Amino acid sequence: MDWEYFGRVTVSSWGTGAGGNDVQWCFSQVKGAIDDDVAEADIISTVEFNHSGELLATGDKGGRVVIFQQETENKCQPLSRSEYNVYSTFQSHEPEFDYLKSLEIEEKINKIRWLPQKNAAQFLLSTNDKTIKLWKISERDKRPEGYNLKEEDGRYRDSTTITTLRVPVFRPMDLMVEASPRRIFANAHTYHINSISVNSDNETYLSADDLRINLWHLEITDRSFNIVDIKPANMEDLTEVITAAEFHPHQCNTFVYSSSKGTIRLCDMRASALCDRHSKLFEEPEDPSNRSFFSEIISSISDVKFSHSGRYMMTRDYLSVKIWDLNMENRPVETYQVHEYLRSKLCSLYENDCIFDKFECCWNGNDSVVMTGSYNNFFRMLDRSQRRDVTLEASRESSKPRQVLKPRRVCAGGKRKKDEISVDSLDFNKKILHTAWHPQENIIAVATTNNLYIFQEKVN
Amino acid sequence: MRRNSAVRASMCRLDVESAVKEVGQSIGDVLSSPRYVLGRGVKRKLVDCEDPVPDLPYPLQRQLVMDLCLDKLQSCHRRSEPSLHRSVLLANTLRQLQQEMRQEGGGLSPTLAAACPAHAAPATPRHTPDLPPVPSDCVLAEEALPSLTSCHDLIFGSFEITNSTSYLTDLAPDDIFDDIDTSMYDPSDFSVLAFPSLRVGSGAPSTNGEEGLKTFSSCSPSSALQHRLSDLNDLDQIMEILVRS
Repeated sequence: MDWEYFGRVTVSSWGTGAGGNDVQWCFSQVKGAIDDDVAEADIISTVEFNHSGELLATGDKGGRVVIFQQETENKCQPLSRSEYNVYSTFQSHEPEFDYLKSLEIEEKINKIRWLPQKNAAQFLLSTNDKTIKLWKISERDKRPEGYNLKEEDGRYRDSTTITTLRVPVFRPMDLMVEASPRRIFANAHTYHINSISVNSDNETYLSADDLRINLWHLEITDRSFNIVDIKPANMEDLTEVITAAEFHPHQCNTFVYSSSKGTIRLCDMRASALCDRHSKLFEEPEDPSNRSFFSEIISSISDVKFSHSGRYMMTRDYLSVKIWDLNMENRPVETYQVHEYLRSKLCSLYENDCIFDKFECCWNGNDSVVMTGSYNNFFRMLDRSQRRDVTLEASRESSKPRQVLKPRRVCAGGKRKKDEISVDSLDFNKKILHTAWHPQENIIAVATTNNLYIFQEKVN
Repeated sequence: MRRNSAVRASMCRLDVESAVKEVGQSIGDVLSSPRYVLGRGVKRKLVDCEDPVPDLPYPLQRQLVMDLCLDKLQSCHRRSEPSLHRSVLLANTLRQLQQEMRQEGGGLSPTLAAACPAHAAPATPRHTPDLPPVPSDCVLAEEALPSLTSCHDLIFGSFEITNSTSYLTDLAPDDIFDDIDTSMYDPSDFSVLAFPSLRVGSGAPSTNGEEGLKTFSSCSPSSALQHRLSDLNDLDQIMEILVRS
């Protein structure tokens, strides 16, 4: 275990306890096809809980959004098992064709972000590479009956046969969940959109592509403001792209964006209309002892997330997770190694392109534990408060109801112990890129290639 | 979409344990070593998990990484999901390696130069400009280092998603009409057709409603407006009919 003082903690060894205040994780549900032959359209590309945690949305490569709803049967028993069942499914995006470049614009859903609930309906933003859409999901459980001029099936009645008038009434019907596109925000991005983030003002949101970030008003679709533009005048000079962006959870004027060079810039929209000059630049100097041909590639940040408190932000690069204090720019306050055993395999991972995989990360509700995915369907829980970490696996083998997940260990070298798996046996095709944590409870959603696993805290 | 076959960490050519020993014997035989024979089922001993890369001389490691880099860059457009992020990272890595080699200067043995595997000429990706062929055996020589800068524009320029109804307004007028023989017409005449001028440049996106040909008005140099109505009545009428239809 490597410890440094003065507020900097590096956790590089393997903890033995379960992560998260001695939480034990149990299998709850798995969604998706069982067979190993994965249809490309079913590949899950994003997972997101809504603000209450009652709804869980997934997007896939086929442009579909599936929303699960938590059952609220046993509300009097807060720790009882609740299940997520399909609530709504709809086709959010269709493939498009760019006639100039003869390129297909993928319908894959890159990100889903929920809006805070304001009325009975739920709203979410979903985006593919080019277009963002605002979807309204509403319930209908009543329908009007007793029209004077129409029959129940819709046919018009012969007006000469009408002798009395009645007032139509609402009668209950089977619950119907409807999804309808309310706004389509198109034609503002030349490059592929990688992030969307709803502002705390609930009126605006940002969308980021490789080179630009735009600010939108949720009501206005034909105009957006460009707030960051890193496209060089000469594309030959391009050396850096934007990889992720997010609004601060409380300060509506503040947002951050990360780059392929491992830097994070915090921008204040009050400073100027075009936030080309950052207010803060977060960057850790490179460790010269770890220098390799692939140093720059593995330093590229694949995800950035603010803590719920707004005091910290977390970044994910290829091998590690870093926690930054917004008040300190020159280095992170905590660094966690996700799968350090891969450092000696970087060349292989470069050859098979795995080194370009973009892993996401997420915070738990009280910012004490962070989670991120890895290969072989492993995912990591990193407990900040207890300085412990654990590796768990999402697999069909460990998917008996309420089965407690056993910690997994990878043998980095030397003699392999019992129950350990060696690095060479890892399946790099089974990657967990997308994970989500319920905002209040210890319920997590973990996406493998085409399955969604839901794990819950063990209830005694 | 990634290959569906099981991908193991040992797939890297540098990983092949048996090949490492052969390199030590003769640099000239590197081309025929199992390392460069992908997919031929070369068995490898289950040894410790250390990547054998450190066992190779550094210049050879670097050369192999560079080969991979070039391969990937050249195949960028053939991928089903082209990624600007990936291309930028590859280009940066390549540039960094080239810079390192430049700093070391020429002075490497000719046998090492001969060891570089020959590159097949890159297949022309459909609908993108030809990438300049990369000379494979001169990467170690200063003057023949593949010029990355000229590739950049071609590599990076093809990542833009365009709205096909507005792309013409974003281009400089001369580019698209270079190959059209306009000797019979004075371009300034088209301005007489009085199309509304359009916003050009970045910023607010154009709305969806605009239809019709907008090219002529946007490419006519406004400074060269000449009034030749009387002389070109016939031409005007013809052009109007053609454009407005």
